[in-house]
Amino acid sequence: MKLEVKNLKKSFGEKEVLHEISFSVESGSALGLLGRNGAGKTTTIRILMDVFKSNGGEILLDGRPFRPKEHGIGYLPEERGLYPKKTVSEQLIYMGMLRGLTARQAKENMKKWLERMEVAEYENRKLETLSKGNQQKVQLAQTLICDPEIVILDEPFSGLDPVNSQILKDVITEQIQDGRLVIFSSHQMSYVEEFCEDIVILNHGEVVLSGDLKEIKREFGQDRLVLSSLNEAPGKLAERLSSTFDDLLEVEKIQKDRVIIRKKAPDGKTAILERLLQEKVDLEFFGLYEPSLNDIFVEKAGDDL
Amino acid sequence: MKQFMTVLKFELNNYFKNKSFLVTTLFLAVLLVGVIVVPTFFLPGLTGGASKGEETEQTEETSQEQLGIFVNTTEIADVDSLLAMIPGQWSSYEDEESLRSAVEAEEIEAGFVLNGPSDAVYVVNNLTMSENLSQTFSSALAQYQKQTYLKDHGLSPEEIAQADSFSVNLEQEVLGKDGSRNYWYTYVLVFVIYMLILFYGQMIAVSITTEKSNRAIEILVTSVNPNSLIFGKVLAGAIAGVLQMVVIIGAGFGAYRACREAWGGMLDFLFQIPGNVMASFVVFGLLSYLLYAFIFGMLGAMVSKTEDISKSATPVTLIYVASFLIAMVGLTDSDSLLMKVASFVPFTSGNAMFIRVSMGSVALWEVGLSVLLLVIGCVAAGILAAKIFRFGTLHYGNPIKLTKALKSMGQQ
Repeated sequence: MKLEVKNLKKSFGEKEVLHEISFSVESGSALGLLGRNGAGKTTTIRILMDVFKSNGGEILLDGRPFRPKEHGIGYLPEERGLYPKKTVSEQLIYMGMLRGLTARQAKENMKKWLERMEVAEYENRKLETLSKGNQQKVQLAQTLICDPEIVILDEPFSGLDPVNSQILKDVITEQIQDGRLVIFSSHQMSYVEEFCEDIVILNHGEVVLSGDLKEIKREFGQDRLVLSSLNEAPGKLAERLSSTFDDLLEVEKIQKDRVIIRKKAPDGKTAILERLLQEKVDLEFFGLYEPSLNDIFVEKAGDDL
Repeated sequence: MKQFMTVLKFELNNYFKNKSFLVTTLFLAVLLVGVIVVPTFFLPGLTGGASKGEETEQTEETSQEQLGIFVNTTEIADVDSLLAMIPGQWSSYEDEESLRSAVEAEEIEAGFVLNGPSDAVYVVNNLTMSENLSQTFSSALAQYQKQTYLKDHGLSPEEIAQADSFSVNLEQEVLGKDGSRNYWYTYVLVFVIYMLILFYGQMIAVSITTEKSNRAIEILVTSVNPNSLIFGKVLAGAIAGVLQMVVIIGAGFGAYRACREAWGGMLDFLFQIPGNVMASFVVFGLLSYLLYAFIFGMLGAMVSKTEDISKSATPVTLIYVASFLIAMVGLTDSDSLLMKVASFVPFTSGNAMFIRVSMGSVALWEVGLSVLLLVIGCVAAGILAAKIFRFGTLHYGNPIKLTKALKSMGQQ
């Protein structure tokens, strides 16, 4: 399956909040929708789920208009909420049946997913008596109860402690391996980095960066090197590099104890290394710069930080 | 349809598993049965079925009454036979003074000074004690006079008794509506609809707002057709309300049927409801209940916190209370112009047309037209409620104004 979002537009009143968003994702992979608060992630997801109508653009599944209700999508909304006064099993079975399962299937799946989320002992407890993290896990069980082909998670990690986050990470990884199509939004970059092949970074309702995460990282690291010295503080090293190496490189920034530089010639790496040795810089580290997703995100979406 | 049934079942379960719902239903049913059954044990004298008991009790009761008499005339020959007509223990007094002081000293309850065949004084401390005693006395005196007169004119006591025994059996045959007979059960049934609408209306509104306030709504509207959702919820509330009423009223009818003889048919004015009145109650009651249920559902969709409901519901409640007041006025004059108009307006026709059917005269086509208009009103309210529900789904915060909701829907 291939889900394509093309030139999606959305306005609330006079204000346009999404300006021609486009991206696509295929079964067996996960797409990370990244952006700062208010960038338009949730609005995009709500349009995908047909909660809001778009003001333009189209969403296609395998080339045909996408109707989310026909596919029993596993959707975890940003606004979490179930029935606090009902037992866990009661509401999971209800949600499963609403999405097309028979009562028996719904019961089986309820048990399966509660087990998988490690909250099986709360099956007959009222939801409101559970801790917030466990409620969140019940919510995730609800999302996956009908074994959906498409899984859309809006900020799935918020509210989970590291152990629970690990359970969720494992579940999402399983989903991807099972060939499900996964879209999720987050601003916790480390999770996105772990299992997203593709990312879309939204900023002020526009796609500022999208594509294969590895390629993006490579492109971002291109022409950049990172180095540190044993006998010089990074600030001092950066100063020396700017003054005596300016024909070969320019200093981009200091990150912790390392200096990130941009080489001026595409094949200038060897020349820089030779000059460093010549200048008796006591190298601790010298290598290609590989940006973290966080770096990329801050650079692309942190314009007005 | 499957989703609708799932929602309906789930929502009905919410009512039926609710302890306070079950307890209220049971409590009211038992209370009503109690009100009907218990009096038949304790007050047999009240009921026509135990007339013997009534007499003995009354004799016992009145025989304890101490009464006094001072005969201040010679015109009455047989004072004893006069006094025999008035139940009580009589003592004679020699003069008016001693009678008065006996009454004052409460030796006797009351006394009479007999001044002549048609002239007596009733002496009593406290007039509220036994107001009918003076009446009993004067009618006994009149009866005594009549008998004396007839005897004097040659009639034997048997002939006099015969002359007194003539009675006329007058039966009523009401060709139109017997308004006086229909008044009470019509009143009660209108009140039943009133309770049903105001009480369940609120519950339905709450059940719809709940999902917004606990934020389950987003999952629901992405899984279910919003129409299935709102229709399921409103109809569940409607069914629960009707079932509760059927149980409570059914218990009342059952109890009365079992005890009708003991009551001597005294409560027929509440429970003997003609078929056509009952049918029109069911049709108009259900339809107008449904209409208001949808309107309350719509209100529930426009607010996001359950505490905002009562504020938003005020206008609808007022409309319904107005309809109820029109109905109350209509109970005394069911053929007025106001009632005629009200019986076609869907908001008021539930009560008004039902009252006209029950108490006034109304043509069949009028009933048909009124039902049709009410059905159209229900369907329109249902569609509008579904649309507003869909629109109001993700509007959190302040209640949406109806005008704004309609405007925005027009734009979409």
